[in-house]
Amino acid sequence: MAMKAWVPAARPFAELQREMNRVFDSVFGRHFRPVGRLRSGYVYPPTNVRETDDAYTVACEVPGLEMADLEVYVTGDQLTVSGTRTNTIPEEGVTLHRHERDTGRFSRAVTLPGPLDSARTEATLAEGVLTVRIPKTEEAKPKRVEVHLGD
Amino acid sequence: MADPIDVPVETNHNPLQPPESYFVPATDVYETADGLTLVAEMPGIKPDGLAVTVEENILVIRGAPGPEVSDGEVLLKEFTAGEFYRAFQLPADYDTERIDAGLRQGVLTLTLPKSERLKPRRIEVKVE
Repeated sequence: MAMKAWVPAARPFAELQREMNRVFDSVFGRHFRPVGRLRSGYVYPPTNVRETDDAYTVACEVPGLEMADLEVYVTGDQLTVSGTRTNTIPEEGVTLHRHERDTGRFSRAVTLPGPLDSARTEATLAEGVLTVRIPKTEEAKPKRVEVHLGD
Repeated sequence: MADPIDVPVETNHNPLQPPESYFVPATDVYETADGLTLVAEMPGIKPDGLAVTVEENILVIRGAPGPEVSDGEVLLKEFTAGEFYRAFQLPADYDTERIDAGLRQGVLTLTLPKSERLKPRRIEVKVE
């Protein structure tokens, strides 16, 4: 379970941080100051999965991608999200100061615990977050069994 | 290597207080003949949660997310809704009055035109 890159409240250290930056800057110049931790984790895209009685909801952070850049497949009990992050920086006539956004092809598969109804799966993309709602098959939905008193 | 004062650098000295805790948006910064472009990834941020301010030549970008979905049981959690924050010290060569900001699919793009006085200008030489 990856829960990284949340920059913690660091008020007591702000003064120290400033001092370290000052020392760092005087030695290396301001260009190379280490930046705060970025949000990106080790796997792309960062993914959340939730389960309700009748469906699984998978959310992936894919900022900058359009629906046409994404491929979403449901195969058996697996959801696969693939796509390409394209470079938006012009190739010529540019002075690059920072390049932190990753580019390139990616693919990630998530195996879900139960049978999936691929025909009724819906994917939406909003604010750079892909949300895929995959209903469970009728057989996989929990059914309450009436308990009768024995004789 | 450009002169250090000519590029935006990250700064802790900003006139606006950063939030208690925050995410640092991954950002591309590049310069063309026309100006400076910043491209920052802020997934989950809607236009009404976004704030871009310039004060004392310090550019601050902030994004506040909406409420997090909380129905059902969590099976995997690799990202959380949190505030984005980042500050850049701008060189004086840019026209901060004419910043163009666009937010599309969680990506904020800012373009700052170069000040008119710094654009290369051809001087006509008159022959007497």
